[in-house]
Amino acid sequence: MAEVAAQQPIVVPDPSDTVAARIIRIAGKLPVNLFLAAIGLVWLVPTIGLFLSSLLAPNDFNSKGWWQIISKPSVATWANYSNLWNSTDIPHSLVTTAEIAIGGTVFPILVAALAGYAFAWLEFPGRDWLFVVVIGLLVVPLQMALIPMFSLYNKLGIFDTVISLVLFHTAFGLPFAIFLLRNFFIGIPKDILESARIDGASEVRIFSRLILPLGLPAIASLAIFQFLWTWNDLLVALTFARNTQPVTVAIYTNLRQFGSNIDIIAPASFLSLVIPLAVFFAFQRYFVQGLLAGSVK
Amino acid sequence: MSKHRLIAAALLAATVAALVGVSTAGGARHATTISVMAVWTGAEQKSFEAVLAGFQKTNSGVKVKYTSGGDQMPTVLATAVQGGNPPDVAILAQPGLMKDFAKKGALKPLSFVTSTLKANFAPVWSQLGQVNGKQYGVIWKGANKSTVWYNVPAFKAAGVKPPANWPALIKAASTLKASGTNPYSIGGADGWTLTDLFENIYLRSAGPAKYDQLSTHKIKWTDPSVKTALKYMAQIIGNSGDIAGGTSGALQLDFPTSVSQVFASPSKAAMVFEGDFVAGVITSSTKAKPVSGFNVFGFPAIGKSGTVVVGGGDTAVMFKDNPATRALIKYLASPEAGTIWAKRGGFSSPNKKVPASAYPDPITRVTATALAKAPVFRFDMSDLQPASFGGTVGQGEFKIFQDFLKNPKNVNGIAASLESSAAKAYAKGK
Amino acid sequence: MTVGPPAREVPSSDEGGGWRSWGVTAIFLVPAAVFLIVWIVYPTVYTIIRSFFGRDGFNNFVGIDNFKAIFTTSVLTTAIKNNAIWLGVVPALVTAIGLIFAVLTERIRWSVAFKTAVFMPMAISLFATGVIWRLMDQKDPNKGTLNAVIGVVHDAFSPPGPLSNAAPSTPSIVGSPQTGLVLKTPIAPGKVVRLGLTAIPPEDVPSGAKQAVQPPPKPGEIDGVVWRDFKPGGGVPGKVEKGELALPNVTVNLRDSSGKTVQSATTDDKGDFAFKDVKGSGYKVAIGADTFRQPFAGVDWLGSQLITPSIIIAYIWVWAGFAMVVIAAGLAAIPRETLEAARTDGGSEWQVFRRVTVPLLAPVLSVVFITMLINVLKVFDIVLSVAPGSTQTDANVIALAMWRTSFGGVNDFGLGSAIAVFLFVLVIPVLALNVRRFRREV
Repeated sequence: MAEVAAQQPIVVPDPSDTVAARIIRIAGKLPVNLFLAAIGLVWLVPTIGLFLSSLLAPNDFNSKGWWQIISKPSVATWANYSNLWNSTDIPHSLVTTAEIAIGGTVFPILVAALAGYAFAWLEFPGRDWLFVVVIGLLVVPLQMALIPMFSLYNKLGIFDTVISLVLFHTAFGLPFAIFLLRNFFIGIPKDILESARIDGASEVRIFSRLILPLGLPAIASLAIFQFLWTWNDLLVALTFARNTQPVTVAIYTNLRQFGSNIDIIAPASFLSLVIPLAVFFAFQRYFVQGLLAGSVK
Repeated sequence: MSKHRLIAAALLAATVAALVGVSTAGGARHATTISVMAVWTGAEQKSFEAVLAGFQKTNSGVKVKYTSGGDQMPTVLATAVQGGNPPDVAILAQPGLMKDFAKKGALKPLSFVTSTLKANFAPVWSQLGQVNGKQYGVIWKGANKSTVWYNVPAFKAAGVKPPANWPALIKAASTLKASGTNPYSIGGADGWTLTDLFENIYLRSAGPAKYDQLSTHKIKWTDPSVKTALKYMAQIIGNSGDIAGGTSGALQLDFPTSVSQVFASPSKAAMVFEGDFVAGVITSSTKAKPVSGFNVFGFPAIGKSGTVVVGGGDTAVMFKDNPATRALIKYLASPEAGTIWAKRGGFSSPNKKVPASAYPDPITRVTATALAKAPVFRFDMSDLQPASFGGTVGQGEFKIFQDFLKNPKNVNGIAASLESSAAKAYAKGK
Repeated sequence: MTVGPPAREVPSSDEGGGWRSWGVTAIFLVPAAVFLIVWIVYPTVYTIIRSFFGRDGFNNFVGIDNFKAIFTTSVLTTAIKNNAIWLGVVPALVTAIGLIFAVLTERIRWSVAFKTAVFMPMAISLFATGVIWRLMDQKDPNKGTLNAVIGVVHDAFSPPGPLSNAAPSTPSIVGSPQTGLVLKTPIAPGKVVRLGLTAIPPEDVPSGAKQAVQPPPKPGEIDGVVWRDFKPGGGVPGKVEKGELALPNVTVNLRDSSGKTVQSATTDDKGDFAFKDVKGSGYKVAIGADTFRQPFAGVDWLGSQLITPSIIIAYIWVWAGFAMVVIAAGLAAIPRETLEAARTDGGSEWQVFRRVTVPLLAPVLSVVFITMLINVLKVFDIVLSVAPGSTQTDANVIALAMWRTSFGGVNDFGLGSAIAVFLFVLVIPVLALNVRRFRREV
């Protein structure tokens, strides 16, 4: 709008002509605008629907859809949330999920940054071959590891613990993280590294003082990805953490009785997606960058 | 330079410590907390948590953490036991499961509770908690599954009386339909509601002797008696117009909703087949009042079957032996525990010390005492069978009876697939 | 630099050389190596070996029986069939939708807002997405959003009749609610007909209805009554009894012997109607289908027929944003001049799009397509959360089958391993592609 207003004083030899032209131009674009507006709405409605459903009293849910919450003298209630907070395991599950997600983000990035640096700037025999192997591991479905790790975790006595999930997510986050960071590190100008080496800096120092700060954009993208991935995971948690119960598993156990547990399912699901959404909106730029860099995966 | 190396090392160490801290904190919780797992969710979960709160009142040093295994509990537990991390105490809905775990040596014997059992329970209930003569379980909650719950105003409007036998039931259904009410509400998304219906019919149409044989797969599911029972069942589920939401609606309906929609206003159906625990769902999720709003009748007799009861029991078992778990088991065997839940509704205690006055209304009093008085009592058949046939979502009996609901004409096909599924499960079990 | 034989000389830029250089490299590589070996390489080998053993463990070698079982067990073949549908439909659809969105957003001013809305589901777990769409897909049009929308359209074109639940009370009335109900026997003037209807909920009886009264016969007229043929206990079907209500405002048609409607009448508050000045005989009395038209019952999105398409819709809702963003980035990289040149050469928008834009975007489109191929092969959580228990088997996919076989009750680690290996084999072509691309890039 501001743009249009700014233009007006300059280009007005014949106002009727410009107005007409603009109307034609806007009319020509109207179908596209309308179409995309409808699509945008379609994409927003489901999430809004979940939120409004979570405000319906359980009795209302049996007869009403979320849109009826708006029309009547509002039937919305926060009762489901206060009940969720006071008398269910969901708050505890959210904490568990946060523990897993934070651990599952910090660890793989640390380990991958080390390896990524080695692959980018250290010379050692078989480097390229090893890197090809890492890329190969990128596509190994994690289903391949469920059964052996199930047995191994039992033997180690860490079955159904937060740490067992963190370690699993670390391992399966690594190939992609190494791939991404190596490709980013290799783009760091060689001169900077060379001069640091000539100054007698050790590799560890170069890594911590130069590479990590310079690699921050890539690390940020990666952190967001890894955080969302571990926060949103169901498969690994369902296999190794039925009692530890991160939030996805907690919702899952309520899912069998969908109609009657909806007063738990809807608010819990909504809470479970508020944090990833917040992360997404806060760091959207890094998220998109990471996506573009990683769409090779 | 060494400073930075130090920082890096410290950072790494801190992260490791943080993670280890997280995991040991999880371990430390076990010292004061005992974990209990049972199938209950929703209203039943709330009632059980009230029972546990009663325990914590008298045992202030112990914190009890309840986890719901949902109806996949057999799997969840088997996995946890395999993983060496079972809950401290579990309440099993399947009698077969206790046997399995006891044989594997996963359960701790409960000899310390024998005298309590003798004082509080009839011998038959203590025996149900034994494996090879050794006490492993306390059946502290019973269930009468031979009940039909009905919407009283709907019956009144249609001028229908609670039917005592099968023809009367069919007649009542058609009258209800004529009055403009769907006769039945069926929670078909949960397979067990369908197996319970079948078992009630089978026990009545084939008799207790055949019931026992079928329970142990001594006769095949292709036996004519099974087909007869399936045909009876088809009289209920065979007409999509008689079922609230039609067949396809019923297949997506979970059990609690199948109950609440009968007693909500506007009501969607007049009757729902299920056990005494229905009362708890009605009182917690609808405004219907006992006697004036909802009532119950015994599952109608078929032929000369008389009054017979199919039921169940929930068995408390112990995976870890310590003073806290022992105290909890003893508590569950006491009348106090039973009384708490009894007052909340949807509960029948096999504990004879639980006073009749504990039950909140005349209806529950009736169903609870009927359980004890029934001349013929049989355990829910699907609970007696291998879990992969009788107790797993998405396969075996649950799945096949859902297929039957989808296509009630296919009596022979259903009998055949029940048999092939059962044969597989029993072959693996041995 | 290409990936060549690894045996090139080790450049020792570090003068200290020897063990120190090796030590430094080890510090950087060992943590990753440990994780990759313990959590990925070892399990992969283990699972491959395990897949040749039975349920009971390594003392039970079964050869390729587990792999045979994958293709002969009906639960698993359903999973494979469904996954084939997923593979055939989803990557193409997601790429196409992403392309359309990316191209169209270039023409609007609020493209950032649009992209954010469409891209947002990427942050939500597939599991929570499943919960969201399970709500959307409820069958009851009062609860399920999709069916509510369809219901509004449906009822606008064919509004439900006032007596949609009704059925004839006696066999003397034939036909069906879909075609309308007709009294079986032909009628001549001077007669009275009784059209008894049943299965009508009390709340469906129009307000103002009184006790039904059977009218007396009149010469030259065909008279009759339409009423709710039910009183508590059932009553006698076909007979107008005390306590049975009239059905007012029902349109009754008189049809001649050829089936043509010659007269219409509406019932009064006693349920009575009259056709006057009727001559001849052989008439039939009918109530039209409009009266019985059903309200929209809802599409059975979660039923066994539509469950896979329903899950696919939810899945596309998530991934369309990914495709759009990646393709939009590719689009932005196309030089404007190329497009302008094509336009000035007289190409229409469509031709420019097909001949210039799409070929230039080909590498990006293939990246999206391949990414979706892999994702679709591994689809798991969303199936578990959208499909209710009764149709989960109908919606099964390979990754879910693997989990259910291993941990979901059957607990057969042999067969579970075999399914995992099968899944692995399916993604190997993509692995080869990735490695080749890397060789080209380096």
